[in-house]
Amino acid sequence: MKHGTSLNRVTYVARSKVFRLTVIYLLFLLAAGHGVAAPNPIVLRLASWEGDQALSVQRKTIAEFEQRYPYIKVKLENVDYGMYQQKMLAQYAANVAPDVLMMGFERFQQFAKRKALLPLDGFIAKTPGFDIKQYYEPIVRAHRRKGRLYVLPRDIAPIGLIYYNKRLFDEAGIPYPDGSWTWDDKVRPELRDKDFLWVMRQLTKKNQEGKTIQWGYSPGWPSLTADCFSLSLGGRFTDDYENPTKILFDSPAMRRGYGLAADLIFKYGFEPSPTEMSSVMQTNATMLFVSQKVAMYQTGIWEVPNLRKFLKPGTKEFFDYDITLFPAYKDGTRRFPTGGSGYSIASSTQHPWEAWLLVQWLAGPQGMKNLAESGLGQPAIRRIALSDVWIPGPNTPVEMRYPAHRIVTDEAIPYVHFAPSGDAWPEVYGLLTSRLDTIWLGTKSAQQALHEGTAEAQARLDALRKQERLPPFAWGPAILGGLLLASGILLWVYWPERGVRYSNREKRENRSAYWFIAPWLIGIVVFTFGPMALSFFMSMADWDIIQPARWRGAANYADALTADPRFWLSLRVTFVYTLVAVPLGLFGSLMLALLLNAKVRGMALFRAVYYLPSLASVVAASLIWRRIFQPEGGLLNTIIYGANGKGDFLGLASLLRPLSPAGQQINWLGNESTALTGLIIMSLWGIGGGMVILLAGLQNIPQEYYEAAVVDGAGALKRFRAVTIPLLSPALFFCLVTGVIGSFQVFTQSFVMTSGGPNDATLFYMLHLYRQAFDGLRMGYASALAWVLFVIILIFTLLQFRLSKWVYYEADSK
Amino acid sequence: MNSLDRKARTAKRTSHAIVWLVLVAGAVGMLVPFYIMLSTAYKTPAEIATTSAWAWPKMASWDNFRQVLDNPNVKFSLLFRNSALIATLSTIGTLITSSLAAYAFARLRFRGRDRLFILLLSTMMLPGIVTMIPTYVLYKYLHWVDTFYPLIVPSWLGGGAFNIFMLRQFFATIPRELEEAAMLDGASHSTIFWRLIMPLSGPALATVGLFSFIWSWRDFLGPLLYLNDPDKQTLELGLRSYQTLNSEQWHLIMAGSVLVMLPLILLFLLGQRYFVRGFVTSGLK
Repeated sequence: MKHGTSLNRVTYVARSKVFRLTVIYLLFLLAAGHGVAAPNPIVLRLASWEGDQALSVQRKTIAEFEQRYPYIKVKLENVDYGMYQQKMLAQYAANVAPDVLMMGFERFQQFAKRKALLPLDGFIAKTPGFDIKQYYEPIVRAHRRKGRLYVLPRDIAPIGLIYYNKRLFDEAGIPYPDGSWTWDDKVRPELRDKDFLWVMRQLTKKNQEGKTIQWGYSPGWPSLTADCFSLSLGGRFTDDYENPTKILFDSPAMRRGYGLAADLIFKYGFEPSPTEMSSVMQTNATMLFVSQKVAMYQTGIWEVPNLRKFLKPGTKEFFDYDITLFPAYKDGTRRFPTGGSGYSIASSTQHPWEAWLLVQWLAGPQGMKNLAESGLGQPAIRRIALSDVWIPGPNTPVEMRYPAHRIVTDEAIPYVHFAPSGDAWPEVYGLLTSRLDTIWLGTKSAQQALHEGTAEAQARLDALRKQERLPPFAWGPAILGGLLLASGILLWVYWPERGVRYSNREKRENRSAYWFIAPWLIGIVVFTFGPMALSFFMSMADWDIIQPARWRGAANYADALTADPRFWLSLRVTFVYTLVAVPLGLFGSLMLALLLNAKVRGMALFRAVYYLPSLASVVAASLIWRRIFQPEGGLLNTIIYGANGKGDFLGLASLLRPLSPAGQQINWLGNESTALTGLIIMSLWGIGGGMVILLAGLQNIPQEYYEAAVVDGAGALKRFRAVTIPLLSPALFFCLVTGVIGSFQVFTQSFVMTSGGPNDATLFYMLHLYRQAFDGLRMGYASALAWVLFVIILIFTLLQFRLSKWVYYEADSK
Repeated sequence: MNSLDRKARTAKRTSHAIVWLVLVAGAVGMLVPFYIMLSTAYKTPAEIATTSAWAWPKMASWDNFRQVLDNPNVKFSLLFRNSALIATLSTIGTLITSSLAAYAFARLRFRGRDRLFILLLSTMMLPGIVTMIPTYVLYKYLHWVDTFYPLIVPSWLGGGAFNIFMLRQFFATIPRELEEAAMLDGASHSTIFWRLIMPLSGPALATVGLFSFIWSWRDFLGPLLYLNDPDKQTLELGLRSYQTLNSEQWHLIMAGSVLVMLPLILLFLLGQRYFVRGFVTSGLK
């Protein structure tokens, strides 16, 4: 089938003729533009997710590369890390993948498995003088799949570093840690500063009221310490890290590790709880450390540039700090998780050798030196990690000298432990960690949370691992079905009016109406229906975006309804949100619009102020709202509990009391019972949008109607009921219908603010769908979820139209 | 002036005062987040870390703004131009084509109208995530990737169901008598549309124009997907590079956000007079 193959190509990474011709055509244009004499440079596209600072380093490295290889030109395409995967997948699907890709350890397996990346071993063999043994062995091993190397590592990032505040150590009279310390399940006073927990205890301070004012220790996130403990006790995440089949979180080692990590917070109070952490700006441990509220904190080397921004030698905020290794268990075993990234070559590249040259340059001595100099990442080549570009020496400028003891990054390498990968892992691990949220919220014991979480995650993994033998997607029947569907829609639209005869005047009206809707009709036929139809086909397929789809029939729908533990859960969250946020928002906008329609002084200014929130960028708004929701000193809690923490605004404080531990103010976004309420409150900030629409509706009401009503002797209330409401009803109806449609698809707030947590309390349907599509590479299943949502929204919308007798259309009245 | 009149006037004045107070209280609530935004934009990173968010910056300086404006990685003026071009062109397209379609749906009778309208609405109901990749592939075949076309052309083809629906609702409130009078004078539908409906719909058109400009100005996913060349990117996209995996440069994010927001605020203030009754106040007399 001709159509079949051409559509197949849409989803398949192959060297299509069209693509090659396009490249040749573009190169031809480029050459034509540059005059015939100039030699055509080879253009390589490089995709990365660098931030502002790293981007400057990247550009410098590329400039040096282009100088060394003048016949190669590099086009850097940098995107936000959060969206990187999505963009890469879109480009793979469209056969326009870049030549060289920045690749994180956590992602490469998904691409390599689907033959989207070239193995590098062949290139390495052909490169004289290239020795892969120069690279740290664990990170090279981690980037192999079935023995072949797919990523040339650029940096390695063990998360087993403890940053410590020397000033606070001096104050407590404790010698600086040299990494030879150990930990045990309880404080071991006899070991003094060689005992991790003893040091924590010495560094924890309380004020007279018994409130902690300085904590001994904080990890970047609570489960990090738990993982370090558990791994050191011999715990493992899963049986097979490349292809997990058993979740091993319900083991004695894990129970002990997670139990101890919970004890540090709840039993000993050495570590701030998540609630206490969110009281600080970025909800992150770096800020606690910088503001000297914790004496030690655990994270990776990548935090150094952040710390340098806050702690500048010579300023009054500065204090001396250094890094050391996370302690070993008392028997000497030490383990901690790690990350790392590097560069890969897309299998679709037209210039594999030049791409390899670029990879070698970026993840080679040149690129690493530049990166190391900026302090952004620990070089993956040991020689460079030991040189003075990384380890501070006498020539290092003073602001780059901290932390001094950077040699520990090299000492850390033998203890690193890479996380599992595989297609199912992101979802299964996400499910598990959501359940483990309950440990850090203090609502469940580590033992119970691990037990239940593991059981649930294992069930999900088993379901996802079910081996299926699927036939290739049947494009022929699908296209036939599509044509049938299209004719069905046409029939549905035109059949009921088949018998209607039009007069000449009506014929003219009909004809001009079609001219009026022509742009929209063209748009919908060309740009909208095709993709919609394709997503409908894919809802019956197993499609990972990179490889050709395979036929699954109705199985995706069946899975959603029966096998997916988060389908009903996310649907419920979304329903609750819609049922509360839409009416509240509509009521608020209406009140506001009515008030602002009155001729009161300063109305123009008020209108602008109320509309302002709709203009704010999402990034800025999310930060601001974290400040409003933060437990202590946040705006909302200051109102509810008063500035002294003893108030009880409208009885809210008493109402909220059972939801948080005694004496603590509510942690809006961090508490399972209030997180969704928080997002609803946040949505009300945007009522300005509805207000503007309703205001325009009010302004559209002809003044004459009011005048006529006055003549008829109607009072204000009567005028409101008889004129305002009916004539505003179309705009109100619009706000209601689009509000419901929009709120069923709500996504951004939970994506940016809460990541669906805690414990899935804000897991909106769309977030679940998004993760299925881009983290789990299950676009077929995600499409099925989307079509289920489509049907739900359609039913709700039709219902509203059915019940829309209250809406008054002037155009229909005769 | 008799006492009854005076009583009514006092009552009116009191109710205005109450309304005014309520509005002020609400406005303060709306503005508080912006206070944080603005004050953070003036702070140094160390100050952000060590002081309360409510504290006004000790050494308020324009450094953060200057840094955002002069960053060689995120060329502000160039990105500003791109954003302005894309937003302006798509707003014009949306205004024209969505009002055309809305007029037909609101006031003309044609075959299949009501069910076509349901089809129109249905295009809003399918999450964009699942149509994103097929759409991308489509644009690639049109050679539109890394151009502004994917961000502008759809606006010229209807401008989206949301806008058509909104305008349809507004057009539907215009009194039928006006149209019938014009018809009797022999006016065609396009004359009625341009001479009657459009002039009567000032506030509605201003609203749709504003919405589509803002939507386009703040669109993040579209530019991210379709634009590769750093010199073709938009402001919203540039703003994100201050928020990266391991470091969020809040001082620059806030300064940048203020700068990106300013044109929108300006636009809103300039457009204010169109939101209230437009050019034609009366058609009935």
